[in-house]
Amino acid sequence: MFNFREELKRYDYSFFGICSAIFIIGILNLYSATHSQGIGPEEGLYKTQLVWFFLSWVIGIFVSFIQPKNFFRLAYPGYLISVVLLAMVLVVGHSALGGQRWIGFGPLKFQPSELTKIAMVLVLARWYSKASPEQEIGFRELIIPFTMTFIPAIMIIIQPDLGTGMLVMLIFFMITFYRKLKWKTITIIAVFAMIGATVVYNFGLRDYQKKRITTFIDPEFDAKGSGYNAIQSKIAIGSGQFFGKGFRRSSQGALNYLPENHTDFIFAIFNEEHGFVGSVFLIALYLALFYRLLWLASNVNKIFDSVVVVGVLAIFFCHTMINMGMVSGLMPIVGVPLPLMSYGGSNLLTFGICCGVVTSISNARNLF
Amino acid sequence: MFGEDDLVKSHQERADIILNIIVVCFAILLARLWYLQIYHGKMFFNYSLENRLRKDVVRAPRGMIFSRNNVLLTHNVPRFDAIITPQYLEGDDETIPYLAKILEMPADSIIKTLKKYQGQAKYLPVVVKKNISRREVAIIETESSKLPGVSVETFISREYTDKDTGAHLLGYISEISQEKLPRLRERDKYDYKQGDFIGQGGIEQQYDLEIRGEDGYQFMEVDARGRARRHVTSDDLYSGIDNKPPIPGKNVRLTIDRDVQLAAYHALEGKDGSAIAIDVESGEIIAMVSLPAYDPANFSTGLSSNYWGSLVMDDKRPLRDRSIQEHYSPGSTFKPLTAIAALEEGIVDENTKVVCNGGYRMGGRVFHCWKKEGHGVVDVVRALKESCDVYFYSIGNKIDIDVIYKYATLFGMGQRSGIILPRETSGLIPNQEWKKKRTGVEWQKGETLSCVIGQSFVNVTPLQLAMFYATMANEGKLWRPHVVKEVFSNSGQVLKRVEPELIHQFKISRKTMDLVHEALFNTANAQGGTAGASKGVGIQMSAKTGTAQVISFSADKIFNKCENQEYKYRNNGLFAAYAPAGNPKIAVSVVVEHGCHGASAGGPVAKAMISAYMNKYYPSYQKKIMAQENSKMTWQQIVEDNRLNPVPMIQETDTKDYYDETGKLIRSFTLEKAGQVQTGPLE
Repeated sequence: MFNFREELKRYDYSFFGICSAIFIIGILNLYSATHSQGIGPEEGLYKTQLVWFFLSWVIGIFVSFIQPKNFFRLAYPGYLISVVLLAMVLVVGHSALGGQRWIGFGPLKFQPSELTKIAMVLVLARWYSKASPEQEIGFRELIIPFTMTFIPAIMIIIQPDLGTGMLVMLIFFMITFYRKLKWKTITIIAVFAMIGATVVYNFGLRDYQKKRITTFIDPEFDAKGSGYNAIQSKIAIGSGQFFGKGFRRSSQGALNYLPENHTDFIFAIFNEEHGFVGSVFLIALYLALFYRLLWLASNVNKIFDSVVVVGVLAIFFCHTMINMGMVSGLMPIVGVPLPLMSYGGSNLLTFGICCGVVTSISNARNLF
Repeated sequence: MFGEDDLVKSHQERADIILNIIVVCFAILLARLWYLQIYHGKMFFNYSLENRLRKDVVRAPRGMIFSRNNVLLTHNVPRFDAIITPQYLEGDDETIPYLAKILEMPADSIIKTLKKYQGQAKYLPVVVKKNISRREVAIIETESSKLPGVSVETFISREYTDKDTGAHLLGYISEISQEKLPRLRERDKYDYKQGDFIGQGGIEQQYDLEIRGEDGYQFMEVDARGRARRHVTSDDLYSGIDNKPPIPGKNVRLTIDRDVQLAAYHALEGKDGSAIAIDVESGEIIAMVSLPAYDPANFSTGLSSNYWGSLVMDDKRPLRDRSIQEHYSPGSTFKPLTAIAALEEGIVDENTKVVCNGGYRMGGRVFHCWKKEGHGVVDVVRALKESCDVYFYSIGNKIDIDVIYKYATLFGMGQRSGIILPRETSGLIPNQEWKKKRTGVEWQKGETLSCVIGQSFVNVTPLQLAMFYATMANEGKLWRPHVVKEVFSNSGQVLKRVEPELIHQFKISRKTMDLVHEALFNTANAQGGTAGASKGVGIQMSAKTGTAQVISFSADKIFNKCENQEYKYRNNGLFAAYAPAGNPKIAVSVVVEHGCHGASAGGPVAKAMISAYMNKYYPSYQKKIMAQENSKMTWQQIVEDNRLNPVPMIQETDTKDYYDETGKLIRSFTLEKAGQVQTGPLE
């Protein structure tokens, strides 16, 4: 029954295509950011990243051949597995940079919080497609999906990984907004969120998290301390000027003034080397991806598929926006990677799977 | 699921809103990037140029330590290591044998060293040979084209003019270990950095914060690999860059006289123990030697871990400053204290006589005199002169230990002197309360008998012993001992001057003092005095010997010849004196561990210190002593002669010029006064 030639004919190459383009820019940039540091522990990172890329793309393409109805079936078990994995991290996880986020499978280390994002998208899409689609969503309808999101989110936050936790909540709100969250409800939530944020800031945040927020407001206050990243990042971006300093000409990253330059701050290095022109080009690629996703969401014929695509869009968009926002000093510094650009295996795998899922949905769109 | 297609369409409105949100977000982001890269681009570009600069620490030269006459005792010497950076090493087959030839070492050992560090990053240099000669430096630098990857690294070594002569007094410096860093920062409220050196022991430790100076920094332009390219000054391309020159450490002038110190060291060499000379009128320490010692320079030239380890493992504990960190039974050198207490309290007077027949019976136990056959009839002067134990046992039978405690405390024993040096110990003078508290048992009368001859619980540091004799010499003034005279800046300005400090002054009756002076003079000069053998040419001193058991012997072994005992069971020999007898200026104490006899072991050391000091500072008085050398004057004659022909006791040597270890003048204050500040050596 499975006709491979037929499958390829209606295969939607756009998602893997755009993502591969961004990744190629990303890997060159990563090579530039790490290689110019000479001999050091970071030298071979781009090779590792390439390995992860091929692994992620193989898995992603495999996922793209799964029928969307199987995603529907996998939603609840997938959710349960991700919650169990999160619980395991809290009990037996590895520590990295003061947080407990990793779990080891033999030689591989994996961040279950990455998997959680996809599991959340699927489980929410399934839940929302079950309810009557005309119905708008108010507080009563929010109880169950909110609880489903809140449990893993809080587990991620206490790892502690505030960034990813907030990201999961943001994805939830974006999906719910798309699924017709009432304007009245949105207004009330916004008011309470503001009050809540004040309370959490004063009582709930760890010191380094608070510091990140205060230094966001005034980075010059403690230039060598926690404001250091923010300032060095701004210097890196700004010094790129219009055309940039050129490939492998970054001085900020090369001289290690910018820490974590290959992960969260990779966008700063890119800006330094390729300037305003480069970032406009890169942002255009991201925009093309988002636009294509949004187009797909409106052009599928199942509400589950539509919500999943918006969910994937939410994952991509929230990562991109938060990362670029923090690197350019628009937002406080939270550890959120830039999709396909930042070094990191787990999140590359997430984005590969995401591409597979939306490609599968796009391919199924033309089947009647 | 018919009609679901339409349901998806009904979400179009929300999809459009999301699209708008995305567009607005990216518009804000692009506006931000425009603001940073184009509006403020130039400014940030300049910032990033500044970031090309590396801030290098410029180490402050550590302050120097001078003797009382400004002879340099400690100085900073540039030394060189030959290093290989494996990253740049090429043509191993030729380079390494060639380097080996230059350094006169086997090529195999260079290869072995490189192998040892194979695991670390290739850009980290490996030290091939430490402390290479200037000739080797010159060859490596001229032949650098044939030696890719080989270079010379300079470091500042802290060196000590007289090596181990003042090891404990001066201390040494060593690198602060990673673990100790936070604790030291907390303790000193000083921001020590990794790789910083810190003074350990002696003056280097005690005055570390003054000597260490303040590191500066120097901006270096670095290339993309972080390697230095050139120094940057404010007038270069980079405006507003300020280098901070280091502030050199302050210098310290000691009260120590190098000649007396060397005399003490050479006289004590080969023995274990301590020798101290102290100024009777001020508490200034003239010499302070502890042996066995170590070469403090070894700690800063990088041999530290092995060297330190071997010092720590050494049974003789060479790291310990025996002068102040160790205490000993004073033995007979303590007897003058017992005599003073008994005379002052009226327990004995000059006419009290005791018959010594070699032992003293009390409570069924016999206390032996060191002289088996006994001394016969003795009074207090003869008892001190011949060190008759039985006479003092008879005092011990009548005196309360608390009275001994009172007098010993007045003379500075059993308490820390307050000398500004690390880890001084207090010694011990017992009293009834102490014993009760310590052991729960009441004081036993028999214990007093042991204490009055300086045995049992009585323990003093060599420094306390010197202070005791100094206080007898000046008749009741207990000075705070000190080793530092001044702290002064590189331009010669005195920043801190240590003035003599009187701890307390107390009254001893004239009669008691006269008896003790006479007795101690006779000990060193008259027929039969225990210290008589030590009397040297041109030395007029009052002294007392002491021989302290380190373990209790059973009665049959007491009179065995000491030299036949195993080394560690041999008695300690002590010698304490003040000089000149008629007009005391200097008090000395010598402890020789397992030296068997005070006179033979300690006497020559004391004599060497006194001779060196008197001949240097009081040559006129020495002339007089030499003239009277053969007249064998009694104590009374000396007192009378001093009254009739007084010699003004003014120190005649007091130079303000600086000399290096070879005696070369390196800085003259006469020049400085004329406005010519001279910092380098004078040619």
